[in-house]
Order: sequence, then C-alpha cells, then structure tokens
Amino acid sequence: MEEILRERIMKMKDMVFENLMASFLPFPMDTKLFSSWTSSLSKNKKTVIYTSYMYQISGILKKYEKLFPKIYRINMPKKLMGLSKYIIRPGDSELKRSFYIINNITNLLKKSNIDFGYLYENEPYSGAILLESGFLYEFKKYGEKLMNFFHENGIEELITIDPHTTNALKRLQELINFDIKVVNYIELVDFKGSGEFVIHDSCLYSRAMNMYTTVRKKINESGIKLDENYLVTSKEMGICCGGPLSLISDKDSEDISKMRAESLLSVNDNVLIMCPLCYENLSQHISNIKDLAEVIS
Amino acid sequence: MDYEWNVSLNKAILNNAPKVDKILRENPYINDIAKDLRERKLEVLDNIDTYIKKTGESVEKNGGNFHIARNSAEAMDIVRNIIGNRTKIVLSKSNVLYEIKLREELSKEGKDIWETDLGEYLVQINNDMPAHLVAPAIHLSKKRISEILNENLDNTINENTSTEEMVKRVREFLINKYLSAEVGITGANAISADTGSVLLIENEGNIRMDTVLPSIHIAITGIDKIVPTLKDAFNEVIVQAANAGFYPPTYVNLTSGPSATGDIELQKVTPATGPKEFHVILIDNGRKEAMNSDLKESLLCIRCGRCYFSCPAYRLYGKEFGTSPYTGPTGIMWSAIVYKQYNKSELCMHSGGCGEVCPMQIPIPKIIEKIKFKYTG
Ligand code: SF4
Repeated sequence: MEEILRERIMKMKDMVFENLMASFLPFPMDTKLFSSWTSSLSKNKKTVIYTSYMYQISGILKKYEKLFPKIYRINMPKKLMGLSKYIIRPGDSELKRSFYIINNITNLLKKSNIDFGYLYENEPYSGAILLESGFLYEFKKYGEKLMNFFHENGIEELITIDPHTTNALKRLQELINFDIKVVNYIELVDFKGSGEFVIHDSCLYSRAMNMYTTVRKKINESGIKLDENYLVTSKEMGICCGGPLSLISDKDSEDISKMRAESLLSVNDNVLIMCPLCYENLSQHISNIKDLAEVIS
Repeated sequence: MDYEWNVSLNKAILNNAPKVDKILRENPYINDIAKDLRERKLEVLDNIDTYIKKTGESVEKNGGNFHIARNSAEAMDIVRNIIGNRTKIVLSKSNVLYEIKLREELSKEGKDIWETDLGEYLVQINNDMPAHLVAPAIHLSKKRISEILNENLDNTINENTSTEEMVKRVREFLINKYLSAEVGITGANAISADTGSVLLIENEGNIRMDTVLPSIHIAITGIDKIVPTLKDAFNEVIVQAANAGFYPPTYVNLTSGPSATGDIELQKVTPATGPKEFHVILIDNGRKEAMNSDLKESLLCIRCGRCYFSCPAYRLYGKEFGTSPYTGPTGIMWSAIVYKQYNKSELCMHSGGCGEVCPMQIPIPKIIEKIKFKYTG
C-alpha cells in the first residue's frame, strides 16, 4: 500500500479550492472548447442542461492526477499552472465522443418536450471533487458561491447528466439548503435501445442516490437486455470502478479497475456504464464498453 | 495486488455472500428484528449512563461481579486483579480483547494464554492479526495454514494433510488447554440490561468450553454491546449470525452469573459444576465520546462482518484497510472511535455497498466521509 500523504492531500485541497473560489473551475481549463458541443441552445432559460464539464474533461483528469504529484513536489507557480489548459487537452476522438453523448442527451430531452438552455463557457464546475475527497467545509463554502452564481443568472432548475454532479448538488441541498432544483436526465427521458449488456452501475446513482431500481426499470423497458449476476451487479455486491482512489494511488486505483473489469467480463463481453469517470477507468481493460447515452435514442 | 489474498478472498465471497442473501430471503423476520434492534440500541446510546447502571445492578443481582473501565489500562488492571497468580487462561474470539491488547500483555507477564477459536489460534501462532471480524484467518490459504501448523504444532502436518485432519490436531491440542484452564476470558455479542445476561454466539463449541470449564469466567466487552432486554440480546445474536452466514447458529451461550444449583431443598448454592466466579467488564475507550459525535451510529455495529465483502478497498487492501482488529468498512469507523486513527478513511472510494448490506442500517459511507473530514479538515 502506498503511503497516505496528508500533506499532499491538503495541498490538493488548497489548490482546488483556491481555483474554484477564483474561477469556478477546479483547475485551468479551456471552457470555450468544452462548451462548443452546441451553439443552438438559448443562454437565457431558467432551466439549463448542466454538464459541469464532466464528460468533456474525464479524459484529461487522469493526466491532471498524474501531474499533481509533480506540481506538489516542485511547487509549480500559478502562471505555469494556468498554461496547462493549453497543454493538457483531450484527444480529438475523446472530445468527439463526449460531444456526441451530450448532444444525444440534449436530443432526448428535446424529444421529451423539455424547454432548457445552456450556460456555455460560463458554466461553473459543481465542486464534486471537494465532496468526494471529504473536504466538507470547502465543499459547503464553494456550494454557497455556486448557489449565488445560479441565483444571479436566474437559474431555477439544473438538468444534470452525470452521477458526480447530480450527487454533489443533491448533497448541497442537504448540507446548505441549496435551493436550485436538480433533476437527472435519466429520470426525465424515455428512450429506446437494443443489445445485451452487463451493467456497471455508477456507485453514486445506484447506492448514494438510490437510483438502482429506477435505472434498471428504464433500461429494461427500452429494449436493452441486461445480464445480471448477484456477485457482480447487485446493489449490495457491485463495486466501484476504482476511480476515486487515484487521488491517493494511481496503481491501487488501477488494480481495482482491473478487478472490476474482470468480474464484469465474466458476465458479458459488452459493458454498459453511465458515468464518464467509470468509462475512463474501465475502458482500459474492456474493449466493448458504452455509455448509456451512446446506445439510446 | 497480493495473489494469495485475492484467491482466498474471492473464495470467501463466493462461499459467503450468496448464502447470506439466501438466509435473509428465506427468513424475512430477521430483517424485521434487525430494524427493531436498531431502535433498541439507539435507545441505549441515548441513555447510556442509565443502561450501564442497570446492567451493573442486574449482573450483581445474579451473583456476578460488575466492573467498568474507562480505557484499556483500567480494563487490564481489573483483569490482573481478578486472575491474580493464576496462569492458565483460555480466550474466545473477541475484538475487544485485541483492542486492549490482552493476550499480548498477559503473555509478556508469563501467562500460558491461548486463543481457542480455530482462526484466532492460527492468527496467534502465526504472530499475526485477524483479517476479518468473523473469519480472522481469512487471509491464510490452506497451504499456508499447513506450514504454520507444521512449524508450531505438529511437524507431520504438510500441504497434503486434509483440512479435517488439521482441525482434529488443533482440537486435540486445545482440549488439554481447556481442561487445565483456570480462567476463561470471552467477549460478548450482547449484554442485556434487564437481566445482566451475556450472550455469545459460535459454531465451534470453544466458547461453551471457555465459559464453563475454568473456575472463573470474565466477559469483557464495550458499553455499546448493552441492549435493553434479554429478548433484544437474543435478537442481536440471531441477526449477527444470519448476516455472518451462519443460520441457525450452532451454539448460543447465555451466562447470567456463576454456576448455581437449587437441587437441595431449592436453596440456591453457588458454585455448582461451572465457574464459581463470573465477571463482566464493560469498557468505554472512546465510545461515550463517539456517542455524542457524528460517529454515533457506528456504535450500532453488531460485528457481523457483512460490509467487508461489499467493499472494494477491503478487497484490495485486506487487513491494511483499518487498524487491526478494526478493519473493513466498520473498522474505519471503529479505528476512529477507539484509536482516533483517521488516515485509512482516505482509501475509501464511497462505493456504498457497505451501507446497503449493513443490517443495522448504519450510513457507513457518510460516516467515513466525516472521518475523512476529521483527517483533512
Ligand atoms: S457495520 Fe454493519 S455490516 Fe459492517 S460489521 Fe457492523 S453491523 Fe455488520
């Protein structure tokens, strides 16, 4: 087991928190690029689709995680950090895939007659990383700033598209009376799909937010067939993809991803996920892996 | 990842998790009594001083001796006082005994002291620490166990020796220890405030020996193990056993004082065949402080060990996930309560299966989130 470096964790906390409070982003990122998946949505709506950049940045998160120990060691100056947004970029196919997913979700929402807009490059990040690292004080503080931002922009409802953002906002509702309505796209849309998969549940959807049954019901009704196995896919025995552990140890996170991938593949070669981070972690070990939003219409 | 650990653990999960699921589906009453038990235990946590007092009075009414220890040092002093010059001691599986380092301390002081649960015995002769609440030797493969027994018990044992034969040899060794033991020290699965009864659940039969053959029985447990009534105590052992995968459990031992008889003119005379002294030591060691904090619900844990197998961090790190004997998801909470150790919480991925399977509905992921906060806040 790698040593748990408290000092490093604290440094990460300070860095991320400082960035968030200054720019609404956990680290410098090219928000113009990441919001260019659409140009047709209105900027002036009370209800908005809220990506929190999760699909767009999932491919570069690992690069940032790898960079972090170096930043920590050499105490990289802020200016240099700022430049990283032009150096650390997702690959073209990664970005294309994420844009396709978000656009597909957008189309599903439109088909369900939901009226919504988008904040484009002004969209803030949710703060999920603070919550998931146990930085509760900072999470609540940032949550207040975030709530004010939405108030100032006249936002009353957020349609989330990934589990981390959905969970972070629901927890803010519990922790600081965050009064913006939060609804996840899976709960809003009806969809059709096909094929046979083993599902790797998002821990947050399935257990933290108790959506295990809702998600299954929707998928089963869509025409997609799910292969279930108590030890692998039940709410009780299904496990994490290992992603969150990479903040402590890349190798250990990798071990969990591998272990999880092996057990999923023992059930079916086609794996269905619902989270951009699960995709990043598992796709290294699974060739036929799809996000739900890639296979439904 | 450690290959041997991975193989052993996967076998254990395969043998245990579907079995527990089946037991609970076939006996839905168990989840009902678990819900009730949760409420009863919360009632104790909210009124702990009243319940400690009541438990003490009940133990003494039955002719037992009641002691309260604020910490490990006090508990060990009480134990030393009770055992005096006696040297032969047998132990049954108990985390609290590890918590207060009882075997380690008494061995140093020259006592002939033996674990009698097979898994714990293996852990003892291997100079090791338990890897799981219910299955302490879960990390040892049969091959490794044959080597340990070969080195420490019988040099004719090898990797071709059958499991049955290994168990038999250990049993022969331990039988002599039971017969000559002067003191039996156990933990407790539950202690009822209304009757002062200690309940212990097991399958091997060793606890029955430990609690009856020596002339002194000492039960050492945490104040969190108090339940209001004897009925609640029975509920606790049934819920614990079922969620550990043993249903029905082979033995439930109930002790409410030293042995006694009323066979001559119905006059109660003590001792009879069993122990002449019965002691209950209840230990605090951070528990009361936790009762008044956001760790409170951790104290509802009945040590069924079910959360371990739903946890990716335990699957990866084994007994390193926590501070032994408090490992696994419950161990992260208990390392915080007892040792004020918070660092291992950073390894938790908030996968959440622990909270799903916990019969006491402890919101384990949210508690671990708070422990992370204690570490970095
Ligand atoms: S925390 Fe719950 S599941 Fe884990 S050992 Fe305790 S009672 Fe059992």
